[in-house]
Amino acid sequence: MKIHRNEAKHAMLFILPSLLLLITFSVLPILMDVYFSFTKYNIIQKPEWVGLANFSRMFKDQYVWASLKNTTLFTLFTVPVQTGISLVFAAWIASHFQNRYGRVVKSALFIPVIASAVLVGTLWSMLLTPRGPVNTMLGLLGLDTVNWLGGKISSLLSVSMVSVWKNIGYFLVIFYAGIMDIPASHYEAAKVDGATGLQQFFYITLPSLSSVTYLVVTLGTIWSFQVFDIVYTMTGGGPGLSTVTLVLTIYNAAFKEYNMGYASAVALLMFLFVIIIQALQKSLVRTGREDS
Amino acid sequence: MKKSYKISPSLQALIITFFALLAILPFVYMSLVSLTQKEILDFSFDPATFSFINYVRVFRNFNILVNFKNSLIVTSSACFFNALISSMAAYGFAKKRFAYRNQLFALYLATLMIPAQVTLIPVFVIIRSLGLMNTYPALVFPILNAFGVFLVRQFMVNVPDELLEASRIDGCNELRVFFQVVIPLIKPVLISLTIFTFITSWNDFLWPLVIASRPNMKTLTLAIAALKGNYSTNYGLVMAGSTITFLPPFLLYIVLQRQFIAGIALSGIKG
Repeated sequence: MKIHRNEAKHAMLFILPSLLLLITFSVLPILMDVYFSFTKYNIIQKPEWVGLANFSRMFKDQYVWASLKNTTLFTLFTVPVQTGISLVFAAWIASHFQNRYGRVVKSALFIPVIASAVLVGTLWSMLLTPRGPVNTMLGLLGLDTVNWLGGKISSLLSVSMVSVWKNIGYFLVIFYAGIMDIPASHYEAAKVDGATGLQQFFYITLPSLSSVTYLVVTLGTIWSFQVFDIVYTMTGGGPGLSTVTLVLTIYNAAFKEYNMGYASAVALLMFLFVIIIQALQKSLVRTGREDS
Repeated sequence: MKKSYKISPSLQALIITFFALLAILPFVYMSLVSLTQKEILDFSFDPATFSFINYVRVFRNFNILVNFKNSLIVTSSACFFNALISSMAAYGFAKKRFAYRNQLFALYLATLMIPAQVTLIPVFVIIRSLGLMNTYPALVFPILNAFGVFLVRQFMVNVPDELLEASRIDGCNELRVFFQVVIPLIKPVLISLTIFTFITSWNDFLWPLVIASRPNMKTLTLAIAALKGNYSTNYGLVMAGSTITFLPPFLLYIVLQRQFIAGIALSGIKG
């Protein structure tokens, strides 16, 4: 019994620093978020209770609605495109290019992943200027130039494409690792049965990767709700409200208007979406496991 | 399946190569432009006119060395403390028995579901009320989270208990067991965690944006965002700042490629 008590004491000493950080920067803040969301709070004066006023303002706020619309469109573009490209590339590299070439292209595609989103946004906003390199290329190909960051639809599309560009390498690595975990015997058996490459992909690779795919889709969707750096550097949310995001709305409300209460309410809305997405993924993965 | 859908390996290679070039060429363009005084972003580069004048200017006029130093201090402290604090906690969870251990660990896992943007405001309020605005601890500690504990713990459960027991019998106290037996055994996961921390902390933007308002505390990502905001048409200057920011993670990536990919890919486990 004595030893056991000592063990608990030692455990607590080892865990304490991390527990303090966790309570100070995760647990306590979530509770504060909830409290602030019912108050008017400008950081200088004490929070003042306003009931549900922040929430009713939120449902009328055009920034919030624009953010939700933009996030939805952003997700509908980025998630299928980046998931599709990275999955197909991973499958191609795994089946034909497990060699030097395969390693080199994987390394190259991974480079945008290590660059900061701020840098990526800065770089691409220059590449996408009206007379910039991208439009020059389009001109050389005989295509019309595009006002990438100036149009309402084109700006959201630009931000989405740049995100995809940054993420492909990351998801490629995850998918590739997933494919490497599939036992080779599955493919050998399929080959004996005369399955084509495409059949192997649809009947072996894809089903074996279902939990990895759920993960990639979930991460991509959650990241869509977290977009800030790229939009901040590329468009600032404009033109108009065409690339406004939830985090940009939170940032502006909190640090431009000093309306911490309202910003906390929007933050809680964002949290709600992220929780729902994660819960969906968990239940999908679970049913997926029961099926197989 | 019909033959017509088949994409031959050589066509696959062509498509992949195209995307790989698309991934690299913007960075090549960035570093080329940084050596020029271009007013229009075109494709003509005359190596005879290349100069480092933009780099001289970002160092001399914009004092980017201060930002570089701040990023370096913040990133290296984040890496060190995350490795230390996470492995300590992981040791407690993996190798010690105590009441409510599983419940406490479940709380750790639950906090992983909270995006940093959601807690931005309360954490800002806490840091401000502690009087820590514009300090290095404020830039470092809030970005550490339970992910490191989760990751190291998974690795540490495989460390055999007999080994720890043997060193205790040899008279090692708990601290020695931890630092001299456990830490060397979990080196691989610590390398992955450190690379992951390096990238997240070096590239962090939103948190420094709200917490580092004084020029002498701003990090590199803030510096390029400001350069871009104020001198957006001075392409060479902005690209020089960007190149400087990109160089440290890029060089590290070149040296530690395999560990890098493993380290970054680990963050996927988080979800």
